[in-house]
Amino acid sequence: MATTPKDTTERSAPLVARHLRVPFILLILCFAAWGMAANLTDILVGVFRGIFDMSNFQASLVQFAYYGAYFLLAIPAAFINARYGFKTGVLVGLGLAAVGGFLFIPASNLLAYEMFLLALFVLAAGLSILETSANPFVIGMGEEASATQRLNLAQSFNPVGANVGVLMGAILILPSLTPEESKTIMSEDELLAATESDLGLVLQPYLVIAGILVLIWLLIAFRKMELPSAPTPVDLTSGRGGTLARLWANRHYRYGVMAQFFNVAAQTCTWTFTILYAQDVVGTSPGEAGWWLQASLVLFLISRFVMTYLLGIFRPALLLLVMAVFGVVCCLTSIFVLNVVGLIAVVAISASLSLMFPTIYGLSLQGLGPDAKFGSAGLVMAILGGALVPIVHAAVMDAAGSALGYIVPGICLAAVAAYALFVLKHTRPAVGAASARA
Amino acid sequence: MVGAVLSGLTLAGCAGEEQEPVSVGLITKQEENPYWVSMRDVAQKTADELDVDLVTATGTSDTDVASQEAALADMVEEGVDGILIAPTDPVALLPAIQEARDAGVVVIALDTPVHPPEAVDAFFATDNEAAGRLIGEYAAAKADDLRLDPQVAMLNLSGNISSGELRRMGFLEGFGLTEDDPAIVASVDTRGDRDNAAVVMNQVLAEHPDINVVYTVNEPAALGALAALEDADVDLDEVVLVSVDGGCRAMREAVRPGDIDATAMQYPQNMAREGVRAIAAAVREGEAPMGFLDTGTELVSDDPMDGVESRRVEFGIRTCWGS
Repeated sequence: MATTPKDTTERSAPLVARHLRVPFILLILCFAAWGMAANLTDILVGVFRGIFDMSNFQASLVQFAYYGAYFLLAIPAAFINARYGFKTGVLVGLGLAAVGGFLFIPASNLLAYEMFLLALFVLAAGLSILETSANPFVIGMGEEASATQRLNLAQSFNPVGANVGVLMGAILILPSLTPEESKTIMSEDELLAATESDLGLVLQPYLVIAGILVLIWLLIAFRKMELPSAPTPVDLTSGRGGTLARLWANRHYRYGVMAQFFNVAAQTCTWTFTILYAQDVVGTSPGEAGWWLQASLVLFLISRFVMTYLLGIFRPALLLLVMAVFGVVCCLTSIFVLNVVGLIAVVAISASLSLMFPTIYGLSLQGLGPDAKFGSAGLVMAILGGALVPIVHAAVMDAAGSALGYIVPGICLAAVAAYALFVLKHTRPAVGAASARA
Repeated sequence: MVGAVLSGLTLAGCAGEEQEPVSVGLITKQEENPYWVSMRDVAQKTADELDVDLVTATGTSDTDVASQEAALADMVEEGVDGILIAPTDPVALLPAIQEARDAGVVVIALDTPVHPPEAVDAFFATDNEAAGRLIGEYAAAKADDLRLDPQVAMLNLSGNISSGELRRMGFLEGFGLTEDDPAIVASVDTRGDRDNAAVVMNQVLAEHPDINVVYTVNEPAALGALAALEDADVDLDEVVLVSVDGGCRAMREAVRPGDIDATAMQYPQNMAREGVRAIAAAVREGEAPMGFLDTGTELVSDDPMDGVESRRVEFGIRTCWGS
């Protein structure tokens, strides 16, 4: 494959403006925190399926609640940022997410699935505000030309948090759950006691997350932060009108939102159902299944750093295309090879996912200037993919088996590959070039 | 920071009040069959969770009485509080079991009964008649669904081994057949062995090529019957093959692809878990185990039939025994 160096202006400025390095590190903690919460939620689908003895579809409502909150709060988050600034947005997000974490306490006392869904909704609402604020905050911390790489670096710590989240699930929850076969001979009282015990396990890591969020809140609240001014915007659209019209007219942005929808869908489906695939198709124990998910996250983390490096050499869109196609192949393998090889293929999907979110984010927002505030909200709203598509995946599992369910992320990754192909074929001027011509 | 919190939570989980020491002996039949390996593994896991000391021993075959007698004597000598034993013979081990009980050791039979049942403190096993009934009901429903005129082959265990007899009786009841029903065209013993089952099934097919319902006492017998059916180029879609066991290998290789239409699962894991718990409770809480504990059975099929409650194959994959 021919390699083409990135066509960008020379970068002599640092990746992060010097006076913003400490705030950048604090934001990295936020990226890690929401990775922790999001990936612990991936474990919950399988856990609740077992505890409440429900179908895959019913259990997948966990992701509907979580990512549905992301979708609903993205626009309000953008208004908070526009009105009060990114720092306020980050603090509001952290605070609301902490409240959601603490709501797990009444949820585990009431033993009600609906209450857990509410707690997850509130937690995710806070994290949505956090993410909508933190991503453009990071983009604005240096030169626009290096924004994609800076965002990739910051987001590299999201999988660090994700790994910690899964580790907590693998250590604190999964190995200690009541064995499924033991429930076949339990009395009603014994089943109730088992439910209480298992839900008590779920509570512990969420209290840890809530505590960490409170700590980060305090560190950011008492730190003065100044954002550099935005670069001169490049008018890439032919139409006039408000922000929304400009954004919608921009095909790179419009298709980018769709690609992000499918990327988040693929990612959520892959990680949510890895544990179920491991148990249902290969027959691992819940504890072992947790370690397979952990392997996925470790691979994601390593790949994220590798991709950060490769993005300095290859065009982002080309790398995106190659990795999306790889992901499709892995999905097909997991469908047809019903043993540990299929499970390894499921894990390998994470390598393909690693660069997608920040790369699609960067490609979509490139050159938007002040429209980036609302533009980022649209991209965060694409997280709706994580709310809607896992339900489809679960429905396929209920109808046709856990292996065939992976056709759903396969189709999603094919859509991401199509976006990458579009970007490769429709290049746009680099930042500043349009101004020079004008 | 996170590591410190995680460590704290983990250690908090480990710390607890000191419990009265308990020692449990587990005697299985042999180590070749993954059924017994699963039983031992879950017994060890449960013992670790309950802070119980587990001592294990095993025979060399399903008929090795001498090794089990020696193990019983050794464990009594070591001072165990209770013994879990899957007896290789329902009568020959009674003197050794009685000596253990006379020494104050709680004895629970697992999987296989002794005669008389009162010779042990308790018996934890599958309700084999219920398991047979489940697969009988399923087979009848499926035969009806396929509009078959049932020609039933019964591949039994051997002699009058109680577990095999109970399954056979349960199947007849579930299917709606009498002992001398003309629908039963063949009834043979397999010793629960795959190769034997293949041989006898070949013979049965030679005499009765129209067989369309096959009852097998366990999954090794089912796999042998399957091999014979395939050798005879029988259309498996027109044959209802049912079994009892719930082993992971058969679940993946035969139940999931639909070659075995349904199986009633057994849970050696439950036998082991409840056995260790019962002896620990006897020592620490004074609750002596007694009577029969049904350790559960579930019907698993990839082709559910209306009116017959069953679980999906994925449930079977998750809860099967062996590897």
